[in-house]
Amino acid sequence: MASPSDTSASPSERGDKRLRAYLRPYEGRLAFGVLLLLLTNAFDKAIPWVLQGAIDALEGGTFDKVRSAALTVMAIAAGLWIFRTRSRIEVFNVGRDVEYDLRNELIDNVHRLGPTFFRKMATGEIMSRATSDLGQVRLLVGFGVLRVVDSIFAFGGAIALMLALSPELTLYAMAPFPMIIFLARFFGKRLYLRSREHQEALAKLADVAQENLAGVRVVRAYAIEDAEQRRFDEANQAAVDASMRLVVLRGFMWPMLLLVASLGTLIVIWKGGEMVLAERLTVGELAAFNAYLAQLVWPTLALGWLLSVVQRGRAGYDRVRAILDAEPEVHSEGTVVPTGPGAMSVDHLEYSVREDGEEVPILKGVDLQVPAKGSLAIMGTVGSGKSTLAALLPRLAPTPKGRVFLDGEDVTDIDLRELRRAVGYAQQEPFLFSTTVERNIAFGMDDPDGPDARERIESAAEEACILEEIETLPDGMETLVGERGVQLSGGQKQRIALARALLNEPQVIVLDDPMSAVDARTEAQILRALDRAGEGRTLILVTHRVAAASRCESIVVLHDGAIVERGTHAELCAAGGRYSTLAERQQLEAELAITEDDARESRP
Amino acid sequence: MSDSKATPETKRAESRARLLTSAQAEQAERHYDLALLKRLLPYAKPHKWLFIAAMILMPLSSLMGLVQPYLLKRGIDSVVVEKSEGALMQVVYLFAGALAAEFVVRFAQTYLMQLAGQKCTADLRGDVMGKIQRLRVGYFDRTPVGRVVTRVTNDIDSLAELFASGAVTAITDLITLVGIVVAMLLLDWQLSLVAFTALPPLALLVNLFRKRARSAFRDIRTRVAQLNAYLAEQVNGVRVVQAFGREKECADEYKDINAAYRDANYRSIRYDALLYSVVQSISVACVALVLYFAAVRAGWVSAGAEGALYVGTVVAFYDYIERFFVPIRDLATKYTIIQSSLASAERVFQLLDTDEDDAPHRPGDRPVVEEEAAVAFEDVTFAYRDGHPVLHEVSIAVRPGEHVALVGATGSGKTTLTSLLLRLYELEEGSLRVDGKDVRDWDAKALRRSFAVVPQDVFLFSGTLRANLALGELAPDDDRLWEALERTGAADLVRKRGGLDGRVDERGQNFSAGERQLLAFARALYRDVDRIILDEATANVDSETEHRLQLAAREALEGRTAIVVAHRLSTIREADRIIVMHQGRVAEEGTHEELLAAGGIYARLHKLQTATS
Ligand SMILES: Nc1ncnc2c1ncn2[C@@H]1O[C@H](COP(=O)(O)OP(=O)(O)OP(=O)(O)O)[C@@H](O)[C@H]1O
Ligand SMILES: Nc1ncnc2c1ncn2[C@@H]1O[C@H](COP(=O)(O)OP(=O)(O)OP(=O)(O)O)[C@@H](O)[C@H]1O
Ligand SMILES: [Mg+2]
Ligand SMILES: [Mg+2]
Repeated sequence: MASPSDTSASPSERGDKRLRAYLRPYEGRLAFGVLLLLLTNAFDKAIPWVLQGAIDALEGGTFDKVRSAALTVMAIAAGLWIFRTRSRIEVFNVGRDVEYDLRNELIDNVHRLGPTFFRKMATGEIMSRATSDLGQVRLLVGFGVLRVVDSIFAFGGAIALMLALSPELTLYAMAPFPMIIFLARFFGKRLYLRSREHQEALAKLADVAQENLAGVRVVRAYAIEDAEQRRFDEANQAAVDASMRLVVLRGFMWPMLLLVASLGTLIVIWKGGEMVLAERLTVGELAAFNAYLAQLVWPTLALGWLLSVVQRGRAGYDRVRAILDAEPEVHSEGTVVPTGPGAMSVDHLEYSVREDGEEVPILKGVDLQVPAKGSLAIMGTVGSGKSTLAALLPRLAPTPKGRVFLDGEDVTDIDLRELRRAVGYAQQEPFLFSTTVERNIAFGMDDPDGPDARERIESAAEEACILEEIETLPDGMETLVGERGVQLSGGQKQRIALARALLNEPQVIVLDDPMSAVDARTEAQILRALDRAGEGRTLILVTHRVAAASRCESIVVLHDGAIVERGTHAELCAAGGRYSTLAERQQLEAELAITEDDARESRP
Repeated sequence: MSDSKATPETKRAESRARLLTSAQAEQAERHYDLALLKRLLPYAKPHKWLFIAAMILMPLSSLMGLVQPYLLKRGIDSVVVEKSEGALMQVVYLFAGALAAEFVVRFAQTYLMQLAGQKCTADLRGDVMGKIQRLRVGYFDRTPVGRVVTRVTNDIDSLAELFASGAVTAITDLITLVGIVVAMLLLDWQLSLVAFTALPPLALLVNLFRKRARSAFRDIRTRVAQLNAYLAEQVNGVRVVQAFGREKECADEYKDINAAYRDANYRSIRYDALLYSVVQSISVACVALVLYFAAVRAGWVSAGAEGALYVGTVVAFYDYIERFFVPIRDLATKYTIIQSSLASAERVFQLLDTDEDDAPHRPGDRPVVEEEAAVAFEDVTFAYRDGHPVLHEVSIAVRPGEHVALVGATGSGKTTLTSLLLRLYELEEGSLRVDGKDVRDWDAKALRRSFAVVPQDVFLFSGTLRANLALGELAPDDDRLWEALERTGAADLVRKRGGLDGRVDERGQNFSAGERQLLAFARALYRDVDRIILDEATANVDSETEHRLQLAAREALEGRTAIVVAHRLSTIREADRIIVMHQGRVAEEGTHEELLAAGGIYARLHKLQTATS
């Protein structure tokens, strides 16, 4: 799946700044950690000195000195233990803290995003970004800092010693080091891209696995396991390849850096040799100088390591940012609190989705009026835009400004949470959470553990005609329903979702085909219950059934995104349009059956 | 949601943590670690040459590193002693050559090692996926998808660290260590023994950390799985969360898991830091100890200048102790990675060991029955959860070519019957035969391929329309695809969406519910097999479309055996026989007319549905 920011190949500076902002709350602790790191390094450097002294003393036969030196080293070792432990804990913990904060921010933004985003980014991809990519960011913060401090210390120490010996030679020795900047540029960009590809490959893998599992019943029923395995193996191989490309890149970077360090040595042999010849330097000094220079090799290489951690972290961060920075389609800038009785009106509502850069119109100017406590049925052929319309009422999709009104108030001006509280909604395909039946019904409740909660849950279940059936489930209300409610039958799921929507007694209730999966008896019961419930609230019902529609005060028929008929059941039947054809067909069946019944009944 | 926290796995991990406190258990644990590593071995085996080559190159690359200082010395000599430019240049060339050689060796070494590691983990990953394909559907009823995905992704990634970090090379560290120990003993056994006194406390600490660290890492694995499962659910149900304004509450639950994950990580960091620094400090302390002892010993031997005699040994020892601790330090670093990887390995192997095979081979004495039935249920009693049967002694026989409709209240077991027919669940009581052969004797794939199904919950995969309609086929027949689409009336829709190459988003979210159902119908028609199952295949379509579908179905079902589940009785009027299910039992059976005449459940249902129209 392509991510919104995939087009920007280079890491953005803004991203780096933002990342730094995440460190801000932990600056104090990080500084403390760094200080401890410095101390650790200093102690580390002190040990050889003390030991050297001790060995000299041993040579000189002053054993007391040796003993005291040994004790000093012991003490330093103990101190080191504490400092080193503490410093690592501080620095790495900050990495975990940043990861924690970023992940929390991520879920918050996921909750703000709309359908357009989720069409572009699949579940597996999001999961991968929230774990694997965030992990890379954390490494950047934790290990990254550790390495920077260690390297700076190592560089600083060695250079200081070299300067003390011979400033001139130091200058020569350091001559190749600016090359590191170019190398960092060169490899940095490539590391970033390769890392990104690798992370993408991993996400793809997660995606394939996630989808395969989500569709496990279809996979099994159609026995396409082999094809699925093949698809997975491909993604698996792609991940290996991406990973190896990264390995190759790092494999090249490493000797390049080594070359820089070694060039320094070469120059030192060269120039230092000359200086020795000119008797400006002793051979011993040259050897010592070289030893210090050798100490630079490790930090130079560590720099490469650092570079790769940094670039991976940035790549990871940029991928996480694609979620963090995704612009919510539905903004919650409104402040009005709805208090009215719940009249809804829709004024020339147009809506389209972007598909491959093209606007595909879904709703082409829909007008509707539902008076408070009134009822409206929305009918129409498959794909005519009913669900789209229904979702736009509580702003679950980006409702355009000035088109949809609740009690005369533009819904985009209403506080989002309040709007959704006032306009209840049950989606066409019921989605249940993997918890108990009770928790699912109580999902919209503010106090699911309150004293009257159980009662309200039961009455909502009653209204949705599911209460009796719940009692027959293995653990009654406590029955776990499984992910998406897989452990329930289709009709059970649908009615639990309906109960959930009815529970909060919103002023307006929008039900998207709430009876598609129930039998005739249950449907009749629900319809009666809705009639009762409808007395106190506005009902907007999407349905394919004339039986259900005819109970509503008015009916609209959608076709291809526009309303083609509107009126009461009687009016529409008389008008002789689509609705009347539908009604006739359903009526015909009814009559056919009834006459059959009558015929049978009239027979002896 | 919150209930997912008390997963069987956590419980198991907890109970095992509790159990394993005695020394005996510790022993068991160590064996268990070895057992885990041993189980990884088969994955390394096919790539053993890569590993061996990498291992051989490793000391070689260190050797290359040693050549350079030697050349350096020669360089200095040539300048100082021979004072010759030519010799110097020669050294410079040699130096460059050594550099190039080191590059080649190092590159080859890392490349081979990483390649071998990648291949191992990819194989393991493939195996886990393969296992998932063979687990029974019931397993996934209970296990959140996100958690299983974590096994395939994060857990294996973490396991891969074992290879990527080179922790597998710990063995070479051990070899180095042994070599140094021998050298030290030869040099001065007394001082060696003094130096080695540092080891027992080290071992003790390492052991202590190991246990703690492992439990932290186990915790981490569990939490990652929870994070993934929870996030996946939130993403899938985001519209519900938004519609009910539960963003904050849901985010809080997620943040709790996130905090638990962070805390588990804090713990692992603490143990890792402690272990790492303790090794560093002990190595320093050890040198001091040797010095101290050397001084004391020198004091014993003579009170004077003879201490100097020992200086050489001490200096040499200093060097050895340094070297002695290098592999120990390396081991300590790798140790953490190994612990973390083993915690992941546990998870992964746990999945691989799950004994819940889909459609297992069940040998039994079940003769093939010569019968006039394509499908025969005989006294089938079935329970998803023990003690709660949802089907009771169901007996249904469907003749070849017959169209049977299943109707009945919701939750009466209609979908369950179709699942059993496909052997998605294992039959425990009674028997179920397809073509006279018990389903338990069928090859599960062959059995399933002999049916075309439109399931109640339609599922579309992301990808193209073509891939969705011709599920699993490598070279679909476009003509037949179009034919199936024309029949279901979805052809126009597909044309509008860019033809068979048109894109389908995750779960088909860019299609309306009814459109998805039409596509699923077309998918079943394309299958073109003798037996077809339609489970509420028209629940989400309008009557006009339904009517069209019925005509299509009539044609398509001609001569085929069909089992049609429907709530809308209008859809099944033409069935040869209607079976009415009631609370898991067959309540009535007969044709539409017969059932109406009987005046039972069906007649009442029918009256209800028609009366309301
Ligand atoms: N995977 C499952 N695990 C546990 N229980 C299940 C599972 N699937 C279904 N059930 C239970 O088994 C019973 C029968 O369910 P089934 O899906 O067969 O009903 P159905 O007749 O198809 O109903 P509907 O018309 O609502 O689809 C229900 O009580 C349901 O809760
Ligand atoms: N991303 C998209 N790109 C193109 N078309 C889309 C996209 N998403 C939805 N549509 C189309 O928008 C139309 C309206 O969809 P909607 O779900 O509102 O239909 P509906 O009336 O609810 O249908 P149903 O009765 O099947 O539930 C459908 O034709 C659908 O294919
Ligand atoms: Mg719809
Ligand atoms: Mg069902």
